[in-house]
Amino acid sequence: MRKGIIAIVLGAAAVLAGCKAGGDYQGLEYAPNMYHSVAYEPLSQITDESAGTIVNSLDNGRGEYFNSNKYNPYAMNLREPAPNTVKRDPRGWLPYRGKRIAKDSIPAYTAKLSNPLRKDTAQVAAYLEQGKVLYVSQCQHCHGKTGAAESKIAQNYALGVANLKAENYLGITEGHIFHVITFGAGNMLPHGSQVSPDDRWKIAMYVKQLQSK
Amino acid sequence: MMHYRVARFHSFLTLLFLLTASFILFAQTVPTDDESIKSGEQLFKTNCYTCHRVKQKWTGPALAGYETRVPSIAWTIEWVKNSAKLIASGDEYANKIFKEYNNSQMTAFTNLKDDQILDILAYIETEAKRQDNPPPPPGENVAGGGAGVPSAYLNLIIIGMFVILLLLLVILVLIVNALKKFLNQRDLSEEDKDVVDSPYTAGSIMRSPGFIFVVVFVVSAVAFKTVIDGLYSIGVQQGYAPKQPIAFSHKIHAGVNEVDCKYCHTGVLKGKQANIPSANICMNCHTYIQQGTITGTGEIAKIYAAVGYDPATGQYSGKQKPIEWIRIHNLPDLAYFNHAQHVNVGNIECQTCHGPIQEMDVVKQYSLLTMGWCIDCHRKTNVNTKDNAYYDKLEQLHKAAKGQKAAMKVEDIGGLECAKCHY
Repeated sequence: MRKGIIAIVLGAAAVLAGCKAGGDYQGLEYAPNMYHSVAYEPLSQITDESAGTIVNSLDNGRGEYFNSNKYNPYAMNLREPAPNTVKRDPRGWLPYRGKRIAKDSIPAYTAKLSNPLRKDTAQVAAYLEQGKVLYVSQCQHCHGKTGAAESKIAQNYALGVANLKAENYLGITEGHIFHVITFGAGNMLPHGSQVSPDDRWKIAMYVKQLQSK
Repeated sequence: MMHYRVARFHSFLTLLFLLTASFILFAQTVPTDDESIKSGEQLFKTNCYTCHRVKQKWTGPALAGYETRVPSIAWTIEWVKNSAKLIASGDEYANKIFKEYNNSQMTAFTNLKDDQILDILAYIETEAKRQDNPPPPPGENVAGGGAGVPSAYLNLIIIGMFVILLLLLVILVLIVNALKKFLNQRDLSEEDKDVVDSPYTAGSIMRSPGFIFVVVFVVSAVAFKTVIDGLYSIGVQQGYAPKQPIAFSHKIHAGVNEVDCKYCHTGVLKGKQANIPSANICMNCHTYIQQGTITGTGEIAKIYAAVGYDPATGQYSGKQKPIEWIRIHNLPDLAYFNHAQHVNVGNIECQTCHGPIQEMDVVKQYSLLTMGWCIDCHRKTNVNTKDNAYYDKLEQLHKAAKGQKAAMKVEDIGGLECAKCHY
């Protein structure tokens, strides 16, 4: 009797030790049908139609976890916006329609482009603060904390990172910076898809402040 | 009178011509004085260093030995000031070098003066010479001293000590047995006999109920703990570290090269999801960085395959296919979590929940992600009310109810309400 109990406890210990997640094993799930999203999820999707058939409470013969749109390419849930659609900007701005051009032509190209955020004079100080946060997350790893390209990436890789403190960059306008973030210049690639127009103007403001230091 | 004037004008022109000519001639030689070299170094570091190294091919060519390659010093000055103009003029060498570097245009340094450019050239020449003849390394006694014992030796030492201890034990047992035998051969009193032939042998101790109890207790306690731990680990994916389709190392990117988390995980300040970066963000750097630190070209080639990029021609084919990253942090669908709320409003560092990501080659789930874990933090954390007008009134009410010094924790503003996360 006593030996039996000990054997059961030891056996349970051995089995349960296998429930722990690690490496490629995700671990055992408790109440799995409450874990998996029924709705389409943007970043996690299960393309296997039979996934979770065991716990299916419905009679449709499908897997409970399957939540992928098989009519999309690669059964992806994420789609690109339809062509020629314009994102609604909270400030009512239309997208900046420029194009990537040779870097020497940018000053003339952007001469008439001025920072619309400068119009809210009361907010400029706050925008500069936000611009700093954005600069740290979006620009600093290449252009460096002070803008002098003193970053690890500029030191380690031959990317030709611009030294924003170099004399030939000191005269650039905020419009110029906005254009370069949007479409890139030289070796810098366009960042328009990941930095919103609003944020680009804030970064431009902060870069000018950095350069004046 | 007239003649005289003209003659004077002529002589003035000649003088002017001679002056300019001598100035140009003077200007066209690279200076060698220390001051020029020093100013050249400064100028080189601010203006040239990001694209050029002295002895190494970087974004642009290595500059050492430029004087043997360029047509003339005047050409070099013109190139630095406006290379595009020189290329457009059909200059042979200018076009050759432009093609050699994939038609990438050098920034025009119109603001640099001729003598500044000459200073830079002076610095390049001296620096190249200096690097060709490096100064002898300072004395060899620097190496080695106080480096400590290498870990391989440390293991050997520990094993050696263990062996010695074991040998000592064996010797002691042998000595005890020999002494016993020796003592038993002699006539001993009853008392001494009891001491020599102790009734407590190893065998009798092992069969005693006390010993059995201790052993059973320890074994069952360990087994019980494993069972409880095992039960608690059901539904907890802490430690999950799956192999990703591309062996991306957060250590190389976020640690060694100090790329901010938010640069790639763009959604973290704006929405529920931190976002798995799309491959175009990878291409911001990997258009140029085609060789990985650990894996060489193999893993980076997988990005190119996904976005349809040919690194040899620099062209996109337009054929794309998604990279099927494996999600590590799976919050159950029954709970709602928003990144922006925590990172943007709460100012919480990524590492608070995700652990030392910047040291992980392979990311593993660092936190429990259980409800208890969430609640624990909501009880301990002060609300970040600074410069946030939304909280002004709340803070006032809180202080009125709980006293001026009471800190406003997340639980005080409803951080423990069921419907905050479960709905």
